[in-house]
Amino acid sequence: MITVMKKDNKTMMKLVVGTEAMFFISLIMAFVYMAYNSGFEPYEVKALDIKTTGIFTVLLLSSSFTFWRAEKNYEKGKIKKLKIWLIATIVLGTVFLFGQGKEYWRLVQDNITLNGSVFGTSFYTLTGFHGFHVFVGLIILMIILIMTFLGDFNKKNSTVVSTVGIYWHFVDVVWIFVFTVVYVLPKFTNI
Amino acid sequence: MNESIEIPEPTTHFPGVGVSTDQGLLQWISSVDHKMIGIMYLLMASLFFLLGGIEALLMRIQLAIPNNHFLGPETYNQFFTMHGTTMVFLVGMPAVLGFSVYFSPLMIGANEMAFPRMNSFSLWISFFGGCLLYFSFFAGGAPDVGWFNYAPLNEKNFSISQGIDYYSLGLLLSGIGSVSTAINLIVTILNYRITGLALNRLPLFVWMILVNSFLIIAAFPSLNAALAMLLLDRQFHAHFFNTMNGGSALLWQHLFWIFGHPEVYILILPSFGILSEVFQVFSRKPIFGYAFVAASTVAIALLAFGVWAHHMFAVGMGNTVNAFFSAGSMLIGIPTGVKIFNWLATMYGGKIQFTNSMLFAIAFLFEFTIGGLTGIAFSIVPIDWQLTDTYFVVAHLHYVLIGGTFFGLFAGLFYWFPKMTGRKLDEKAGRWFFWLFVIGFNATFFIQHILGMIGMPRRVYTYPNLPWYGILNFISTAGAFMMGASILLLFYIIVRDARQGKEVGNDPWDAFTLEWYTKSPPPLKNFDEVPAINSPLPLWELKYGNNSNDNGDEKG
Amino acid sequence: MSYLQQIFLLQSVENPASEQADKINRLFNYFNMAAAGMLLLVGFLIVYICIRFRQRKGDSNMPIAGKQNKKLELLMIGGPFLLLVFFFYQTITVMNSVSPSQDPNGKNPDVIITGHQWWWEVDYPKAKVITANEVHLPVGKPLLLEMRSADVIHDWWVPELGNKMDLIPTKKRYLSLNINKPGNYIGACSEFCGAQHAWMRIHVIAETEADFNDWLAANEKSAVAPKDGLAVTGAILFQTKTCANCHRIQGTAAISTAGPDLTHLAARDELLTGLMPNDSANLFKWVDQPQEVKPGAHMPDFKFKKDTVNAIVHYLLQLK
Repeated sequence: MITVMKKDNKTMMKLVVGTEAMFFISLIMAFVYMAYNSGFEPYEVKALDIKTTGIFTVLLLSSSFTFWRAEKNYEKGKIKKLKIWLIATIVLGTVFLFGQGKEYWRLVQDNITLNGSVFGTSFYTLTGFHGFHVFVGLIILMIILIMTFLGDFNKKNSTVVSTVGIYWHFVDVVWIFVFTVVYVLPKFTNI
Repeated sequence: MNESIEIPEPTTHFPGVGVSTDQGLLQWISSVDHKMIGIMYLLMASLFFLLGGIEALLMRIQLAIPNNHFLGPETYNQFFTMHGTTMVFLVGMPAVLGFSVYFSPLMIGANEMAFPRMNSFSLWISFFGGCLLYFSFFAGGAPDVGWFNYAPLNEKNFSISQGIDYYSLGLLLSGIGSVSTAINLIVTILNYRITGLALNRLPLFVWMILVNSFLIIAAFPSLNAALAMLLLDRQFHAHFFNTMNGGSALLWQHLFWIFGHPEVYILILPSFGILSEVFQVFSRKPIFGYAFVAASTVAIALLAFGVWAHHMFAVGMGNTVNAFFSAGSMLIGIPTGVKIFNWLATMYGGKIQFTNSMLFAIAFLFEFTIGGLTGIAFSIVPIDWQLTDTYFVVAHLHYVLIGGTFFGLFAGLFYWFPKMTGRKLDEKAGRWFFWLFVIGFNATFFIQHILGMIGMPRRVYTYPNLPWYGILNFISTAGAFMMGASILLLFYIIVRDARQGKEVGNDPWDAFTLEWYTKSPPPLKNFDEVPAINSPLPLWELKYGNNSNDNGDEKG
Repeated sequence: MSYLQQIFLLQSVENPASEQADKINRLFNYFNMAAAGMLLLVGFLIVYICIRFRQRKGDSNMPIAGKQNKKLELLMIGGPFLLLVFFFYQTITVMNSVSPSQDPNGKNPDVIITGHQWWWEVDYPKAKVITANEVHLPVGKPLLLEMRSADVIHDWWVPELGNKMDLIPTKKRYLSLNINKPGNYIGACSEFCGAQHAWMRIHVIAETEADFNDWLAANEKSAVAPKDGLAVTGAILFQTKTCANCHRIQGTAAISTAGPDLTHLAARDELLTGLMPNDSANLFKWVDQPQEVKPGAHMPDFKFKKDTVNAIVHYLLQLK
């Protein structure tokens, strides 16, 4: 007998997600450790805008929904719908990054910087790495979109779209955790 | 959905290194063949082994007599840092990954790894990371605060060079190589097994590599996070570890050791796998307690994440925390140590053949037991409080890393060299290497237990003329040079026998696993067809009939 | 274990001189016996099995089927497990007895030791004594040592006195100590702390309480006034050549604690945290060219004239 080599991108992506999850766990641990070890200044924690960021959070999470729709349409061979839902995902992700940028700008104006305090260090690193992962995800999505326009996904037998989906959903799930630890929990505990 | 992959391949399968044809050096550099990549990982490990070994010998010269002035403190500190960093990341990891990527596909009946191009990428980024690290010597100075690089000493305000930035970047790059190889190995082992090869019938080497790969992808991110934070501190004045600005020195230690402890298991599990195969072949008996050995490996991997703070017992975390990590460390000693008895029981009742590979395996049993026992000493917190950060630790770590990891790798080298090159390493010359190395190794490191007990701390560029310090250090240095000489002999043997060694067929050892089914060296396409698999020892059935070798049914 | 003491006369974990070191030593010896037993067992099995089951001439290569033995497997796991239970119990008891808590519970420390890159600042808060490197301690009473750091992580370790303890910047750590007998106890910094980590040795002089109090009283006094012309010159140079910017001499205008306190420098046995004996030749070498003597130390090469060095050394060596 002979081994039939079955290409398996989804397992590979799940493992990538696994290792990146451990990376974010380390960053979150550092954030929490800094909060309890050195302590954050109350005015810094209060400076975070949970309402605005909450709205942008909803938009990011919606992009998971739009990508799911994109996947489903691809499975049914509806290429036009695939393109639309992909574009929606990219737009939502970009808006999220724009919102993060605005939040950063506002905080910097308030003198909360990476090198200004322990809070600044922890906050910008954790949210910054997340934002970087979103950015990388957007690049990948744009490549997928271009490939769709070039006709690469006209047949239904590719695993690329669902594989990318695993990464994109991961990025959103991470944000849920980061948002909870950075924005939500400080409002209800004594950091 | 099944897709069969046609990888366009060159025509020769073991090219020379000529530059003029596209079947020479260019084929090596551009190869995506897992076997060539495996060999290149081993070559990378050998190169850095020489560099790390030279660093060690220079250090031992400096330490041969008290109050020596052969190396100044700044130079010595760079050498001990680079020696440790090199041996762990640029020798241990590539050696382990080299054997993994070469033999995992072969032992499961596959023709290639899941992602050949990623395999090549992993190799070259690892190599580049190593080169970047070594470039620091030419860029103002290598990192000089130890391979675990504690904070706040690793911060910019305590640095006299950029060495630590090179350390951080070099390790980030090499780390990417390790993690991507691990992902590649997992997908390969899970998906590319020949039909009938259930997970509970995996050859133990493959099983160890599978578990090991999960360890790699879970452990490296902690180091990557720490290195990223350190770079932010050093380059952008962030405050993670900068105690003068609210940062935490202990945060570095936690992040580092959450990586660092699993890392030592990452370095030993593949050797456990190699030894499991070697003991079976050269005792002519299947492993005693297959299910236990397999299950204990998983136990080790899980427990590995619960013991890291045993590196921090002297930090003052409080006795409750100390007790927790002490218990975990003792507990993990059981699945690790009992394997020694499993291997002994494998040999018991068998027909032992004292090939060089088997000699290293047998020596491993004794040396690793010493290393493991001193490890248990350290899990006993009050003993750790006396002996941590002394030469007793240096002795312990070298017994487990050399006596453990390296002896396993040497056993693998002598076992698999015929498969990789089609020629055997000369047994007689190899025996000289074995004895020189073992005697040198024990002379160098056994004595260091005593040095630790009489008060010599580690990482010191010199020491005062206290009783016994001089003579013991001198003997240790002599042993180190004996090791160095034996390694030169080994390299000579390898280079000579790669060209002139006795040629062999598919199965020179009359072994039991699938890699011996194909030619030596295997052609570019490993297998045209593979026999049916009913056990972890498929060739045994093929050659000797079903001699009830199957211990794999009961999985603990 | 007395013959071991004879072999290793100097500092050794087998030569305990404190209650803490004693308890740890006992546990270590139990461990060594168990470990030696285990190693002998493994060694014996290896030799026995290799001899008895070697493949003899004429033996076929035919492999032999293995036999399962669940009972043996359980024994192999159970035996070591029981041993470990014993050692874990010992771990908890000895650990708690030797180092009860990192919370001083309101007790004031007897000594505060602050680690600097590459010297020890030693403060006796009850007596308001600040000195450097040589640590005097009374025997026969429970002592609480507080460990701090001014820069990076250091570690205090004197093998004959027992467990080590890290000195961590921004944190306070505590070491409990009951020294049994008077003596000179040698140790070393045991956490790599930079270029001159090797020469951050520890020297503890344990003495009877009476002797200790005498020493403390002598150290509470300010520095003696310079006795002769050269020493007066030296004292003036000490201020004008900026020595006072780092070094304190109690009773003078030099009050900085950035570097080691020199008020009673002449009473110490060693210089430079264990690097060399304290005499005029060595002190001259140091003040003349610090970077030659202890490269990397934070004292720069001032490139003084030889006369300047001479005067300063002469002055310092009068500071008993």
